[in-house]
Amino acid sequence: MTFRNGQKVEIFQKSTDESWEPYMDEFIGLHGMITDPDAVKNDPDALIEVSVNEKGTHRFPQDCLRAMGDS
Amino acid sequence: MSIQCCPVHTTLFFLKEAIDDGRFKFPKTRRIASEIMELMEDLARGRGGPDHVPALISLTADLVANASDHESRTDAAQVQMNLVEYREVYESHAQTHTCTKGDCVKLAPAPCQMACPAGIDIPSYLTLVGQGRYAEAVDVIREDNPFPWVCGLVCTHPCEFMCVRARMDSPVAIMDLKGVAAEKAMSARQYRNPPALPDNGHKVCIIGAGPGGLTAAYYLALKGYRVTVIEALPVSGGMMMVGIPRYRLPREVIDREVGMIEALGVEFRFNTCLGKDITLSDLEQEGFEAYLLAMGAHGSYKLEIPGEDDFPQVIPAVDFLRRVSLGDHRSPGRHVAVIGGGNVAIDAARTCLRLGSQEVTILYRRTKDEMPAHHEEVVEAEEEGIGFSFLTIPKRICGQDGRVTGIICMRAELSQPDESGRQRPVPLEGSDFEITVDTVIPAIGQEVDGHGLEGFRNLTWTRRKTIQANTISMETHHKGVFAVGDAVTGPATVVEAIAGGKKAAFAIARHFENLPQPKFPTAPTRRRRMDFFQVPAALKNDLKRAQMPLLGNDRRRITFQQVRLGLDDAQTVNEARRCLRCDVCLRCGHCVEICRDKMGIEALRMGYLNFDHPSPTDLKITAERCIACGACVANCPTGAMQMKDQDGFRVLSLCGTELNRLKLEYCRTCGAVIGPARYHDYIMRRVKEISPHMFARQVCLECARKDSGRRHAENAPPEHQKQGKD
Repeated sequence: MTFRNGQKVEIFQKSTDESWEPYMDEFIGLHGMITDPDAVKNDPDALIEVSVNEKGTHRFPQDCLRAMGDS
Repeated sequence: MSIQCCPVHTTLFFLKEAIDDGRFKFPKTRRIASEIMELMEDLARGRGGPDHVPALISLTADLVANASDHESRTDAAQVQMNLVEYREVYESHAQTHTCTKGDCVKLAPAPCQMACPAGIDIPSYLTLVGQGRYAEAVDVIREDNPFPWVCGLVCTHPCEFMCVRARMDSPVAIMDLKGVAAEKAMSARQYRNPPALPDNGHKVCIIGAGPGGLTAAYYLALKGYRVTVIEALPVSGGMMMVGIPRYRLPREVIDREVGMIEALGVEFRFNTCLGKDITLSDLEQEGFEAYLLAMGAHGSYKLEIPGEDDFPQVIPAVDFLRRVSLGDHRSPGRHVAVIGGGNVAIDAARTCLRLGSQEVTILYRRTKDEMPAHHEEVVEAEEEGIGFSFLTIPKRICGQDGRVTGIICMRAELSQPDESGRQRPVPLEGSDFEITVDTVIPAIGQEVDGHGLEGFRNLTWTRRKTIQANTISMETHHKGVFAVGDAVTGPATVVEAIAGGKKAAFAIARHFENLPQPKFPTAPTRRRRMDFFQVPAALKNDLKRAQMPLLGNDRRRITFQQVRLGLDDAQTVNEARRCLRCDVCLRCGHCVEICRDKMGIEALRMGYLNFDHPSPTDLKITAERCIACGACVANCPTGAMQMKDQDGFRVLSLCGTELNRLKLEYCRTCGAVIGPARYHDYIMRRVKEISPHMFARQVCLECARKDSGRRHAENAPPEHQKQGKD
């Protein structure tokens, strides 16, 4: 899945990536919006910035995200 | 500590219930419990201060000591345990006046503030900007971000993505308003530093003068630390200065804001590369006690194709942009190919055009839809005449006599989406073609250059080749060494680096004070509580987002003048008025529900309340339907919805937006206010069955009752009289 700016996403699972931090467990199941996708080369391994609804903006590995349809 | 509800809120509720139920039986314990409840109410309503938590600890100890029966002992212990376990949350309430759980409704931050990585109190500064109080707005911004002007021009503005107004029409132009505030304040010579604490004697060394390092320097200097910034380049600003072209971010903007940081006594050493011009042991001998690594990601990924290393006309985009930023304004070539589809590729291409290149083409291996560059940047590049060649994969750079003559490429097509939904470019065999160019600029990504950091022996690296750091405290595995910015995140945004710098400054201060580092992301702080703008609903509803005027295209193609020219005064005021003040309105929807479900009126159509499923909003419909009964006001937990009688009218407003204004009517008997005719009619329709003679009479309830009593007295004699007659 290539994520794009402004796309609504769900943090649907915990990531096994090393960049997943314990406090992020609280975000599973929450919705948010992509605010800075990989702006260089559409790298599926890049960490992308998501603003989680009312929970702040964080960088997540892409395997924990899924799109919620066109916004 | 993953908690579902705010402990302050739940304990307050628990305590109130215990007192109301009489579980504290003795006067002394009841008094202490009431005092504890009062202090907790302060915390839950944003009235808390530094003394509140220590006072709570002392009072709960008193409560435990004085509780003599089993029930009150259990309750007191419960309160004390909660306070001990969640002390950090209580302190956060007292210090930041913010409840991130949103349970303490007066303290819930607006979604824009939550979304801002730096946690700027956006609703407060937008209100100040709308009132023309630019210097105060800048003061508010700089409490969380020392670069309001820079971020007013180049921020990726996550706040605007989460702006609730976007669910109604389009987001408030938050970034542009920040830029206006900073420019106006600077122009009026009112851009000022807050007072710094006295020198505490501790020395901190920051490696790298980019946004992360400079932000940390600013907050550390304010806390009284002696800060020295070591920078390999001859200028400060890092990627802001050498990665972002001047037509997006003028040098003067960076210089002025860095100047404010320098004015706090921060020392800069330029042209000083760690590991080359100075070593870690040199710095240790100078007495530095903590280090912040903020050297950015200035290395470039390679194309890994033949010819890439054979010609001087193959220039990585980051090197090219740096060269131009440092004053080399020679044209790189007449025909330029820029390889990549990201923001850096767009910046490099637009810069080539401004330096006089005849033809600039961006080669990208996917289609325009997949380009990772920001949409507006792509549009502006197209307007300026940049060419695009999509589904194009570079295969070989060719040349003659030491000069590039062309680039051999292959056509590609996108594959079917794989399991993750991603379409990959697949080269088409035999589709080779040559593009005649004399310069090639690869822009396919940046990496951290770790040279010079060998001295920090315990430093660890991620598999993405970035420095491993805790993203809450920015601590690395080397004690006393912190890291921020692109060096930690990989190439990211200016505002993220700024947020990291702020976190690092506070973590470094904790390091010196021997305090434990936070384990959870810090809540943003409510800096002000601003009054509302008074705006008619029609205006609020219909104001469209201000369009940023742009420099003429001809001039854009030949100069580095700033493309975005800034909003004028009228645009600024109107744009600020579009803010829905989500710092006060929680979007709980109680007002809509009560109006629709209990009153059956449906006068509030605010479809923006729902994040996932927004529906149409019409603020003007309230004036058509509302009866000004006040049910919405009575059920609003935050005071966002207000109703007052003024100048003969009853006015209903939501965060200052005047939704309805109805003429008041007065009792014909006593002259008391009986509300607007619509309200009166609504009541009369409801009571006409039980009191038909009242229908259409303009009297207050008191007089109606008296009147009814009189009629009753005249028409129906008292029972005992009736009985006597019988």
